[in-house]
Order: sequence, then C-alpha cells, then structure tokens
Amino acid sequence: MSATDTGGRVSRFGSAVAEGWTRERFGLLGAVALVLVAFAPPFQVYLFTDFLVVALFALGFNLLYGYTGLLSFGHGLFYAGGAYGIAIVLRDLGPVIADVVGAGISPLVTFVLGGVVGLVLVVLVAVPVGWLSVRLEEIYFALITLAFGMLGYSLIIQDPAGLTNGTDGVIVLLGTVDLGGFSLRIGGRRIYYAISAVTVVAAVYGVWRVVNSPFGTVCKAIRESPDRAAALGIDVGHHRWMTFIVSAAVVGIAGVLRAGLASVASPGLTHWSTSAIAVIATVIGGATYFYGPIVGAFIFLYIRWAISRFPALEAYWELFFGALLIAVVLFFKQGAVGGLLLLRDRLFGDGGGGGGGALDDGQASTAADDGAESGDDNVRADRGDNS
Amino acid sequence: MSLTSLVPLIGIADVVIGLSLGSRLFLIAVGLSLIFGVLGVLNFAHGGFYMLGAYFTLAVVSNVVDNFWIAVVVGALAVGVVGAAIEFSAIRRLYDRVDSDLDQLIVTFGFVLVIHETVRFVWGSGSYSIDPPDVFNFSVALGGSTFNAYRLVVIGLAVGVLVALWLFITRTYFGSLVRGTSSDREMAAMLGVDVPRLYTGVFFLGSVLAGLGGALSAPLQSTSPALGDQVIIDAFIVVVIGGLGSMSGAFVGAMLIGMMQSLGPQFISAGSIAIPFLAMVIVLLIRPEGLFGGIGE
Amino acid sequence: MTTVLKTEDLRKQFGQLTAVDDVSIEIDDDKITSIIGPNGAGKTTFYNLLTGVLEPTSGSIWLRSGEGGELADVTDAEPHEVAQAGLSRSYQITNIFEGLTVRENVRVARISHDGSRLDFRSRATGDESVEADVEELLELTGLTDIADTPCDTLSHGEKRTVEIALALAIEPNVFLMDEPTAGMNPTEVTEIVSLIRDLDEDLDATFVVTEHNMDVVTDISDRIVVLAEGSILADGAPEDVLTDERVTEAYLGSDSV
Repeated sequence: MSATDTGGRVSRFGSAVAEGWTRERFGLLGAVALVLVAFAPPFQVYLFTDFLVVALFALGFNLLYGYTGLLSFGHGLFYAGGAYGIAIVLRDLGPVIADVVGAGISPLVTFVLGGVVGLVLVVLVAVPVGWLSVRLEEIYFALITLAFGMLGYSLIIQDPAGLTNGTDGVIVLLGTVDLGGFSLRIGGRRIYYAISAVTVVAAVYGVWRVVNSPFGTVCKAIRESPDRAAALGIDVGHHRWMTFIVSAAVVGIAGVLRAGLASVASPGLTHWSTSAIAVIATVIGGATYFYGPIVGAFIFLYIRWAISRFPALEAYWELFFGALLIAVVLFFKQGAVGGLLLLRDRLFGDGGGGGGGALDDGQASTAADDGAESGDDNVRADRGDNS
Repeated sequence: MSLTSLVPLIGIADVVIGLSLGSRLFLIAVGLSLIFGVLGVLNFAHGGFYMLGAYFTLAVVSNVVDNFWIAVVVGALAVGVVGAAIEFSAIRRLYDRVDSDLDQLIVTFGFVLVIHETVRFVWGSGSYSIDPPDVFNFSVALGGSTFNAYRLVVIGLAVGVLVALWLFITRTYFGSLVRGTSSDREMAAMLGVDVPRLYTGVFFLGSVLAGLGGALSAPLQSTSPALGDQVIIDAFIVVVIGGLGSMSGAFVGAMLIGMMQSLGPQFISAGSIAIPFLAMVIVLLIRPEGLFGGIGE
Repeated sequence: MTTVLKTEDLRKQFGQLTAVDDVSIEIDDDKITSIIGPNGAGKTTFYNLLTGVLEPTSGSIWLRSGEGGELADVTDAEPHEVAQAGLSRSYQITNIFEGLTVRENVRVARISHDGSRLDFRSRATGDESVEADVEELLELTGLTDIADTPCDTLSHGEKRTVEIALALAIEPNVFLMDEPTAGMNPTEVTEIVSLIRDLDEDLDATFVVTEHNMDVVTDISDRIVVLAEGSILADGAPEDVLTDERVTEAYLGSDSV
C-alpha cells in the first residue's frame, strides 16, 4: 500500500537514486531491456523466458502468502491446471478448430483458446478448493493445500478419465501460423519469448493493480491481524477465498506459459516439490515486497544456471538453495529485495546528507509508484514494498 | 461380493506386509507427532531423518562392524544427534517469532533440500539394499502365501516402541514434564522447567525414532536419496489422520495407511493412490485435531 | 433515551467454569457506561460474546443499528457481521495493523465501512470521499501529524489512539472500549480521557468502557455496572455504586486494584 501513497515505509528508503528516476524512465528502461533480451543467444532467451514464467508463478503464490499470510504447499495444482488445460485443447481440439477457422491461422486461435480454457479450468478448481482450504490457517492450511496438490497429482497420474495420459503427460505442439507468405512458429524461442513477456508484464501489472486496490489493502490488513480486520466488519474467510482464487488464476496463467515452454504438460507440475519452487523463490526474494517473488525467481533461475556451468557442482544446486532458504528465514527475512533496499540505503541514503531533500515524500512516492514491469533488472525490481 | 469369495483375496502375507509398512510409518510418524505436540513444529525434514537412519545403518554395516543390530542402534542415535543439532542451531531461533509456525516449516523444508543433497553427495544417486539379519532371514509360509520373517520383527519392535513411549510419557518424571510443557509452555517455564533443553531433548527423541524407522526398514526397501521425500508425505498423511500430537493416533493411522498400501491396489484399481490424500483433506476439514486424542494418548 | 444494546440471560460456560452467568443488561444511548470488576470477573468474555468472537452457551444479544433502527438479534452473528451491524470495539492488548502506517490503518477501516472491500480495480487511494473521511478521522483523533508513520514504530500511547481511530472509522452505533488506558503513563491517561469526552460529545456513538483505573471510571462514567464472578453485582450512578458495600467487598476480597 505504501507503494501508492505518499511516504509510508518507502519514504524511509527514499534515496538520491530516486531523483530523476521517474516511473516513466524506469518503464522505458525495462521495456528496452525486454526487447534487447529477444536478441540474445537462443539459450539465454529460453532461460529468460523460464525466469518470467517462474516469476509469475511465485508472484501468484505470494498474493496469498505475502498478502494474507496463508502458506500454500499446493499451488502446483494450479500451475498444472493451466498447463493441462492448454495441452488438452491443443491435442483434442486442434483439428476441429483448423476445420472451422482454416489451417493457416488455426495454431494461433487454438493457442489463445487453450490459454483461456486453462485459466477457466484453474478458476473452476480453485473455487471449491479455496473455499474448503481457507477454513484452516497456518500449518493446517499448508497441509490441506499440500493434500489437494497431491490429490491432483494422483488423479493426473492415474488418469481415470483418459485425459491426462498418465505419467508421460500431454505433449504440447504449438504449430506454425501460415498466412500466405507470412509464417510464424509459435513455439520458436524468440516468438514464444515475446508472447511470454507480453503476457507476464500484463499479468504482473494486473496483480500490482489488485495489490494496490481497496481489495489488496484489506488483504494486507488481514495479514497483519485477522481478528482486528473482522472487528472492522471484514469477512476474513470470504476475503481469503477471493484472494485464493485470484492467486490461483495468476499461477494458472504461468502454467499455460510453462506448457508451451516445456512442450509438455507433465504430472510433476502438481507435485509438492514444484509447489515448493514458489516458496523458495518467494522467501529468498522477500515475501513482504511486491517484487520479492520476481527477484527471487531471478536468483533461483540464474544461480541454478551459474552452478550448472560447473559440472562437479551441477547436481548439487538444491543444496545451495536449501542453505540459502534456511539462512534467509533465520537471519534476514526481508530477503533479497530487503537486502537491496538496505544496500541502496547504505550507498546513497546516508552518504548524501547534503541532498537530504531527496528523502522528500513526493520523490519517494514517484519512485515507489513506478508501475509493474517484468522485474528483469534488480534496480527496478527493488521498488515495491507491499507492506 | 460375499465374504467367502472376499477372504481368499486377502493373503496373510499381504496383511503382514501391510502391518510392516505400517510399522515403519509409525516409527517416523510418532516422532513427527511428538515434536509437533510438544514444540509446535511441523518438521518437514523428518523424512530426511528417516532416510539418514537407513544410510547410517548401511554405512556402519559395510564399513565398521558387520552386525545389523549394532548398526541400527548407532544409526538411530546418530540421526538423533543430527536432529538435536538442527533444533539447537536453527529451529530454536524461531520459537519467539510471531509467525513462527510457517517460518519453522520453511526452515525445516530447507533442511529437506540440504539432507537430500548431502546424502546424494556422500552416497551417490544409486540405491542400496541389505539382507535382513540371518536369524530372521527366512520365508514364512502361511495360508498359501509367503513373507520374510524379518517383517514380523519390525512389527513387534514397532509395538514395543509404542508401549515404551506410552510408559515413558505417562509414568516417568521426564514424561510429565513433556506433557506439561506441551499443554502450556509458559506455565512450565514459570514452574522451573528448562524448556529449551526439554525441546532439544524431545527433538532428539523424535529424530531417533525416525532414524530407527529408517534403520529397521533398510532390509525391506531399496535406500536411495528419493526415500525421504516419499516417506514424509506418507508421514504427513498418517499424523493428520491420527491427529497431530497423538501417539496412539500415529499408530492407528500408520497401520491404516500401511494396510491401504498393501491391500488397496487389489480392490480399487483407479484412484487408489488418491485415496490417502482424499482422506487427509476430509480429516483436516472435519476433525483437524485428528481422529484420535492428543499427546500421551 | 433509547436502548442500543441489550442482553438477555447471557451465559457462557467453559467446561465447569461459568465465565458469564445469566447477564441481562440494557445500555442506553445517552450515557457513558463503565463496566468494572475484579480480575476474572468476566469482562473480557462478556465483550467477546457481544462482538461475536465467542458463541454464548445460552441467552441472547440485541443491537440497534443506527438512529431509529430496530433492535436486532445478533446472538449468532459472526464478528464481521456484528461490526457491520454497528458495534465496534477497541482492544485491551493493542490490536492494530502494525506493518501499515497510521493513515493506512484508518483507510482499511473506511474501505471496510464504505463497502468497497471487494473492489479489485480501482486504486486504494483513489476514492476522494474515503480519503476525505480518513483525513477527518485523523484530525478528530489528533493523529494527523503522525499519519505516515508505520505503526510498529509508534509509542504505546499513540498506538492506543490508533486503536480508537480504527474503531471509530466504521461509524459505530455502540463503541466498546476495553481498558483504553491500559499501560499508559499519567499524561497519556489525561489525554485519552479528554479524547473520550470529546468523542462522546461530538459523535452519536454510545460508549461502553471497561477500565481498571478508578479515577478514570469516576471521571467519565454516567453509569457503572459492576461484574463479579460473571454476574452483575451492582448497577447505577457512580456515587451509588462506588459506595456500595458489596462492591468494596468484591474488590478488597479479591485481587485489589
């Protein structure tokens, strides 16, 4: 909330850097960076797309954890829901759609329709699952979401309806749009990156709006004190349920993108160890900050990549994240974003005593308000503060 | 289906296998439940402790002394030391936090990753197995089916542990401190109980039990780094159904799940692996305190 | 004179212990009523019953919402429904949104009150009427100067004031104050007493106060209800109640204040 109003906690972090760095400038810089990534080597494009998808996954998860205090160990269910939704539409409806709209444009139509179906599917699952889960709190909420996730995992593996193709999962073939002389392979790395970047930026902006809406403000109050919120006339259970559904939907969008990126919707997506990725990224990035999960996902993907470059260490990257996770929770719960803010404070905040005017509320507010971007660079990503 | 046609389907061997699976689940779940009941910590790393118990035992048998029983005791105690060290160095820092429950869960999850990778680093990704001790390593033929006699030993030891724990909690001075502290930590502290030491002690005991479960199961399963992740989920199901904090609940829950794992596939083909999770959801919604009572029961 | 809050034979048992023992009381809108009693007399339980946090074992609770409204049965209402019906409370142990600023605290309460809780789309700060109300409330409670301070850095006295601002923000018909001066130094006590007086004059809300500090009680009360062992021991004007022998006995007989 302090991200939008003047002052608040953000003002404490106001700094010389904020001077002149308006929301528009940061937005422009981010957009340029996103475009530049498209011209990187293919593997880097892939890695960055992967990062965007995991970032959205973690961001959706954190809507529930960071904003209402509910830790889900079952959000893989919604990640998989989006992935299977689009995968099954592509497999089963692709030919039908080609008959209706023509083979040339059909891959694109199917892709979009599949994404919508995936999202709708996730919401349909999240409505009852959320309604039941929000009756519980704390450890019990973590356990019931874990159980729901593993229930989904079991059903996908055993495939009683003959839809999910068991342990092999559903192969995703995105196809090529062909309109006369113009052809476009949707699954091509750069094209898919562009689709993902636009989708993720839009989704992040959407989440940012929700967080800063009256609804999101109430969420933060619930996180701080549920019984106080209830005493002010807020139906805490209902509010948590709504947040659960929005959170699941955001994760579902990430799942849709994941299916195309991995070229398969696999049962492992529902497994609790996939849900745990959102937990790891969020905690490492800093759950109390809007951009925490995004920065956490960046660290997760890029450190894993960096470790993988050393063959001797490659197999043991989990060890690093386990240790990091423990260290962050024990010693520095603000996570990476909190650390960056502190660092900025050290570097620019105290040093610039003469320019103390930079701590002025208006400046802090402008800096804090810089809108939602993909968070691909840390300088920009350290702006939000959802507390 | 009439009873007469049903009976031949259930071989006695299946029942024994189910009970032995339940016994290993009981050993891990009872420690998990004890730690939750007293400390309020849901230890995600408990499956890792179980796995460590199996690895330590294998290591002792193959490198130090070729006696299974000594290896089991050494393995279980070594796991207890690991557990106590984790409690002492990490978990202890979180008791006084406002939102300590979730922080503890996340930290113990961090240890899941650390233990998993350490095991892989030391013992590699392959799987190990050993034979049961010679004395019990023979087949028993009963009702037309056969099973290894060692399974009966595991079942017997699990029942023995249940009785010993029950006596320990209800009849000893330390047990009364445990019960008192689990119901009201601040009151216990005011009455002069050294709560931090008691917590470390309980964590040690819970870890020993998990290590014992892993050690005793080493001859019945193949031991690989994936073992911890598989077993912790089963243990969560058991403690939820039995009631977090309840020891007899852990026993009944463990036997229920063990039998389901052994017999389930014969009766329900589709959806059988989903049933325990469905049961977990239903119990959490209807009776979050579990089907059986609290600590010491 | 109108009755705004009424209980009939309200009872709460915890196992064998009867915390609130068939309490029947009518609170009128033109007075400040204080509920006092020794520790363990059942005051906090009584408040928790009124606000829907606890479910009564038997008996009923009636609340009038707004001027000219009817007394409605809120016995089985959830806490948020009781709040929406016009009953607000402040807590004995400060219970505010610590991680948010003072202004954000009050804004949450206003958002709750104006029914935009489920608005996903607009900006939380975008509603001018909400913002104006927030400023007015900050002004009224003297919090304007510290409006942008995060609550976890406030002094105890300031937090207590935020507590009151929150409760007022939902425009209650009845305001239950649980130990408003708890843990305060004498200066802060004086300030809060004059604030309560001002609020009583300026607002339509009916104040019900539990309080340990007898000076404060005699200072602000028009009516005093004494609870002991879960039932009403005495009820009336301060000068009558405080000279009642049974009351002094109840206090001296137990843990004296």
